[in-house]
Amino acid sequence: MTPSAISITNVTKSFGEKFALRDVSLELAAGTFNVLLGPSGSGKTTLLRCLAGIERPTSGTIAIGDQVVCSDQVLVGPEKRHLSMVFQDYALWPHLTVRHNVGYPLASSKWSKAQRSARVDDLLERVGIAHLADRYPNELSGGEQQRVALARALSADVGLILFDEPLSNLDADRREQLRIEIATLTRESGATAVYITHDQAEAFALADRVGVLRGGQLVQFGTPEQIYQRPADAFVAHFTGVSGEFDVEDFERRSDGLATLTLPFAPEHPIVACVPQPIDEGARASLFVRASAVRISDDCVERGLHGTVLDAAFTGRGYEHVVELAPRATLTKVFSETRYERGAAVALQLDPRSCFLMSLENERK
Amino acid sequence: MTLSLRALKPRIRLGSITVWVVLLLLIVIPVGGFLLVAVSPRLFNLGPQWFTLSTIRETFTGYTRKGIVDSLFVATLASLIAVTVATTMAWLVQRTNIWGRRFWSGAMWLLLLVPTWMTTLGWIDVIQPGELGTALGIHALFLYHHFFGPDGIVFVLSTAAMPFSYFVISVAMRGLGSEFEDAARVHGASRWRTIRTVLPIIAPALLSAFAISFAESMSDFGVAFTLGSAAHFPIATYVLFNAIYSFPANFQVAAVIAAVLILSTIPPVYLQSRVMRGRSFAVLSGRSKGVRRHQFSTKMRILVTAGVAVVMFIVLGLPLLGAVASSFTNTASLVTPTGIHWTLAAYRQVFSTPPSFTPLGPPLVTSNELGLITASITAVLALVLAKRLASRTSGVAQRIMDSFLLGSVAVPGIVLGIGYIFFYDQRFITQHVIDLYETMPLLIMGLVASATPGQARLLTGPVAQLQSTMSEAARVHGASKFRTWRTTTMPLLSRAVVWAWLLTFTKTISELAIAQILYQPGHEPVSVDIETYLGTIFATIGSAATVLTLVEMLGVIVLVLGLYRLVTPRGWRRLGDARNA
Repeated sequence: MTPSAISITNVTKSFGEKFALRDVSLELAAGTFNVLLGPSGSGKTTLLRCLAGIERPTSGTIAIGDQVVCSDQVLVGPEKRHLSMVFQDYALWPHLTVRHNVGYPLASSKWSKAQRSARVDDLLERVGIAHLADRYPNELSGGEQQRVALARALSADVGLILFDEPLSNLDADRREQLRIEIATLTRESGATAVYITHDQAEAFALADRVGVLRGGQLVQFGTPEQIYQRPADAFVAHFTGVSGEFDVEDFERRSDGLATLTLPFAPEHPIVACVPQPIDEGARASLFVRASAVRISDDCVERGLHGTVLDAAFTGRGYEHVVELAPRATLTKVFSETRYERGAAVALQLDPRSCFLMSLENERK
Repeated sequence: MTLSLRALKPRIRLGSITVWVVLLLLIVIPVGGFLLVAVSPRLFNLGPQWFTLSTIRETFTGYTRKGIVDSLFVATLASLIAVTVATTMAWLVQRTNIWGRRFWSGAMWLLLLVPTWMTTLGWIDVIQPGELGTALGIHALFLYHHFFGPDGIVFVLSTAAMPFSYFVISVAMRGLGSEFEDAARVHGASRWRTIRTVLPIIAPALLSAFAISFAESMSDFGVAFTLGSAAHFPIATYVLFNAIYSFPANFQVAAVIAAVLILSTIPPVYLQSRVMRGRSFAVLSGRSKGVRRHQFSTKMRILVTAGVAVVMFIVLGLPLLGAVASSFTNTASLVTPTGIHWTLAAYRQVFSTPPSFTPLGPPLVTSNELGLITASITAVLALVLAKRLASRTSGVAQRIMDSFLLGSVAVPGIVLGIGYIFFYDQRFITQHVIDLYETMPLLIMGLVASATPGQARLLTGPVAQLQSTMSEAARVHGASKFRTWRTTTMPLLSRAVVWAWLLTFTKTISELAIAQILYQPGHEPVSVDIETYLGTIFATIGSAATVLTLVEMLGVIVLVLGLYRLVTPRGWRRLGDARNA
């Protein structure tokens, strides 16, 4: 099946007076892996369900490939959109065995019975549950059930696969393992993927393109690098993972595109940061510091910020520290291969490339 | 966010309109017409006034007032007892390792299909001096006196309502994962506290059980007819019957009582909807694990199983034994001065009846035909209604339908029957629309109208347990609406629908009130035929016919369940099965 490009134009969805989506427009290239990222209530599930055809948008147009599947005049049923989906609760049919669950989408294909059976066997083998083919869903673990759901979604050889937070019910170990399998198998299939999650690490690990949603609106859409390095606003910067966020006392734009700023608790230590979006002189602003920007040392005569270690957590390859710079001003996830004990005085150097000066003037409440 | 696929076509209301038209023709218009008589006797040429409230004032005085108050009292008490016993039984059968779990579930079904008039007569055959109790050496005259009073009425109504509660609660318990129990236990809850913690999770089912038990008790006619009159403890349905069958018939008072019966079910529905606000029955999904059974020690297992056996013997075994014993004699009472005389005479006479009586064969065939058609139509209609009732969008329409269906359960068959005669015998209907009076289709419509509300509510539990993602998954994986229904919805509901069909089938065969009023002359159903024997010197032939009818009904149940087992895949039958841990 040829992968499908997706075109979402001015899609709005309301439930009564509550808007779940507001005027969302998005173009997804064929064969790409796209992740919609956002907190609860941001509208990502609704957008996915509109794509699937389970919900009908209040207004707007959705096209899958060359076919308009939803507009004011057109509504194509889910079964005619040539897509498949992995549900958050897996949605496996409890009265069907694993084999029949996986083979379900093939029933409407033109394949012979033998071909269908071979396809199911192949998929079960690839997701590692061939030995469970004759079991029923309630005889499987959560990870095994999710593998069945993944195999079912892959079985029909469709141009578009949707993932509705498929890993949210799994433990960390299984999540990591299945994330890799989803990424590999989906890319092997060649289909366009739309995957929703509230976990930025998962989003960045999987995506070719990430769309960040907030309050039913698409805030930013781009590559993971673009999202991470040039967040569209304070919300995106915050939601995609920061080590610390501080009110800025004063700042000054520089000719090289950077800015020099001071923090209220350390006016004697000016900090240099990127300015990813335009910001007016004198605007209310915050400094967002990515974890990767921070270098920790115990050389307290060094220039830079100074703080006290509150906590140190062993992560296997090193230690993540929480450092207090001032009351109610902390940096988290400060990595070092060596451990700094709780209460130790430390110095912190910040890499300007991963520090963002962001305006709070347009921040939506 | 989970909305059903129906959200796809919000503008299309054709389904809703069809459902309401069917309900209007089956229930609302016939019953509504009859109820109008209460305030507008002139409408049906039953009095001079176009509008009067005097009948309502008249109804709430003296004998009729007492009947209404008595009914509310016994129905409340019987429902509370039924829900309490049924919850215990459901937990023991569904969630513990007691012996004979299938047998006890089967016994509940048997209890459900035995009509209350049969239970009452069976009990009289047990405790009346000279009957089975005497034969067994139990001379409990005080029980006999208690039985003919409110105690007896509450007892029989409780036993009749118990299976309704049992099945509603059983479904909820089967679908409830054992993780809630586990969570309570690991956080230090005692066994008793665990039960108290988990029970509120199935509160919607408990309230549903109470509501349906209350409505069934309010509308029951069998007990009212057989016990209420003799006990000098009038209850509403008997007062209603008296109002219609006394001379001259007082249709206006009957209509007021019917209205009271319907209105009395609103409080439990209101209570249920309040508690269910923000809750959902949805516990059956692709992720559901099989439930784990509590393991009693051998000693406790013996004790608890014996306790269940005693309860079931009292509520079901004894009255059946009484009826069976009575059918094997040919004398006025079982124990005579010359001893007990067992004979098969009554069974022989069933098929070669005395003059002016009808042999059992043709009525039994008629009843089976009626049962087959009624059960099939009802199963489809009830499933459609249950789907609407289980919808998560709790709008005004759903609440109206919920209240309406429960109110309809409280409409006694006799009211439906009279409502049908009123409406479908009106000149403008018979001359300009269709003349159904004294025809089989009218009887079938009445039976469907009587069975549908109760079945719809019984099916609501299983339907509500289906996660919407079950059908959504089918649709997004290429299944059409029909294939989605055939391959996912139907298998998941098949067991509940088969049982609903069986229940309607058996209830139709034993139904008396509607059959008596609407049967086509020359085609008496079996219940009408049996009724002609009761109170005559040939009563034992009636008892034998009753026993044979019961056996035939059981045969059909065994046959249908056997066929279901043969033709359905294993996956269909294992849903909700508990696993021994």
